[in-house]
Amino acid sequence: MSGTISIARTDQETTISIKGRFNFEMHSQFRSAYQEETVDKSRSRRFVIDLTGTEYIDSSALGMLLLLREEAGTTDADIEIANARPEIRKILETANFQRLFKIT
Amino acid sequence: MKILIVDDDRINSTILHRLLSREGHHVFSAEDGQAGVEMFDSERPELVLMDIRMPRMNGYEAAREIKRLSSDRFVPIIFLTAVTDEEGLVQCIESGGDDFLTKPFNRTLLQAKIEAMERIRRLHTELHNQKEELERHQERVQQELDISQHLFSNIVRAGNLLDAPCLRHISRPMSQFNGDLLVASYNPAGGLHIMLGDFTGHGLSAAVGAMPLSEIFYGMTAQGYSIGDIADEMNAKLLSIMPTRMFCAACLLEVDIRQQSLMVWNGGLPDILLVDGVGNLQQRISSYHLPLGIRPFNPDDRKVSIFELRTDTRIFLYSDGLTEATRHDNLMYGSERLEQHFEGRLLPETLFDAIIADLDGFRAGAQQSDDITLLEINCARAHEEPVSDSVAHARKKFIPPTNWSLSFFFSPQLLQTVDPLPAIVNSVMNLQAPAGHRERIYTTLAELFSNALDHGLLGLDTRTKQTPEGFMRYYTQREERLAALDHGFIRLELTHIPQYDEKQQKIGGEMHIRLEDGGPGFDHQHVHSTLDGNLGHGGRGIALVRSLCTKLSYNEAGNCADVVYRWTI
Repeated sequence: MSGTISIARTDQETTISIKGRFNFEMHSQFRSAYQEETVDKSRSRRFVIDLTGTEYIDSSALGMLLLLREEAGTTDADIEIANARPEIRKILETANFQRLFKIT
Repeated sequence: MKILIVDDDRINSTILHRLLSREGHHVFSAEDGQAGVEMFDSERPELVLMDIRMPRMNGYEAAREIKRLSSDRFVPIIFLTAVTDEEGLVQCIESGGDDFLTKPFNRTLLQAKIEAMERIRRLHTELHNQKEELERHQERVQQELDISQHLFSNIVRAGNLLDAPCLRHISRPMSQFNGDLLVASYNPAGGLHIMLGDFTGHGLSAAVGAMPLSEIFYGMTAQGYSIGDIADEMNAKLLSIMPTRMFCAACLLEVDIRQQSLMVWNGGLPDILLVDGVGNLQQRISSYHLPLGIRPFNPDDRKVSIFELRTDTRIFLYSDGLTEATRHDNLMYGSERLEQHFEGRLLPETLFDAIIADLDGFRAGAQQSDDITLLEINCARAHEEPVSDSVAHARKKFIPPTNWSLSFFFSPQLLQTVDPLPAIVNSVMNLQAPAGHRERIYTTLAELFSNALDHGLLGLDTRTKQTPEGFMRYYTQREERLAALDHGFIRLELTHIPQYDEKQQKIGGEMHIRLEDGGPGFDHQHVHSTLDGNLGHGGRGIALVRSLCTKLSYNEAGNCADVVYRWTI
């Protein structure tokens, strides 16, 4: 059982929303959600990972976020992880991901 | 195609025989069921045309027998029947027939049915071959996994001191390979290093990452490196070998019961829990660092936190597989439920079992979705040596005592960048490491060195460490003063001289150690001259060295120590 992904794009920003369980089964879905935009590294783009509907997150999902960070070529806070519920926020903070991403 | 006709009606049989032969098939005929079965066995046809009513053995029985004989391959049987009643046709199918053809035959229909059956037969053969291929493949993979697991556990377990009396642990991998790595080993000073690592994902890929980490852990611990150094090395290793989306949440601990100190490096693991002598949660140590293998270390990433330990402290650490374990309705066990055990209701010595029993009760046999590890460190037993330690000692090569000497000179810049102690100790140990003396020599060198640095150069006062608050202040001060150090030096000279008995036989050796620092010196006569005075908060001090060595003396200024360490074969 895994979650579903929906994408919204504007000129500068891509929002990826994840509903349900964000786990290893989402790997190819999640990757294809941003891959188009990361081909051209000269254009800086903002990514928002919206976790409003996310019920669960595992370490593979954290790995996917790291992969996005690398492939987007952004080492600063160009990737925002938004609306995580407290349990998920706790997981992100245990891994100290606030040092790699903007968590809002 | 090889076709067998089983029919007692000769005319019928001959017509069919001719017809099929003309189509290019290789045809055999049998005149009753019994002969049909026998011919089936000897000729191995690919299709059978079967009459029903025959002497000796009828068509139904023959069909059953043929299907039994060809259980590993698909041989279609087409019944040739005059029967048109439903009952008879049902019986054809039930006895293993695949189709039927009513007499008198229509040639086109017969050809079509044979072709259709041939198609099905080919599909069956293909499927059967694929299934066999898959089974062979699976068997091969399983064999390789078994061998890998053997190698893996030997590499990870070699020298692992998880059987140390102060440790209790439970490891429940969800598959054949454990993605949680749990290793423990003593450093040369007798401090216990423990590491719990939790790789992204489970199974083989996670286990492969665990192997280099365990090698680094054992190697560097044995050489006296600090847990911050070890974490740094592991991080560099993982960065070079792992894909971006893989990392390792890890925690490294050093339990030094003589110093009553606990050092922690926690990157991404759940809170480490310190429980006091009556079972109450005394302190939690949260993850302060990023997990290993995400980005290169900066100086802050090596930072280790220091905590005071009491002899009745118990330390609990676990991987998130424990708190994220779910039961059938997907509810998670959770950290609140785990921490309810630490409210003083339970005797400390029953906590470990109580947690496991509670977890098992909660899960009620639900499928495991992550590796689960729980470890308890019982400080009351931290001084007890594990049995397996002697094995490691026995493997060390004996080097007969000879003449040699070495000297080191360290500037403040070097002291700020690295801890040179492991390098010193390793040089000495590689030249002359008498079994049973390693820890003493290490401790002697370590004490003299830290005395020279902490007190001689940095001017720190050991008495600061006598209260818990001072304990923390001491280490903060040490860090600040070391960073600001701009003059002074530490010089070490070590000469080894073999010792002989009256028959000129080598009986051992003497190490003459001189350790000099460029500081103003200190009042060595009044600071902690007895061993007992040092057993409070840290400060093993000079008294410890004095108890280990044959001779210890300081110069008048107190900035140069002369030590003689004697050992016998």
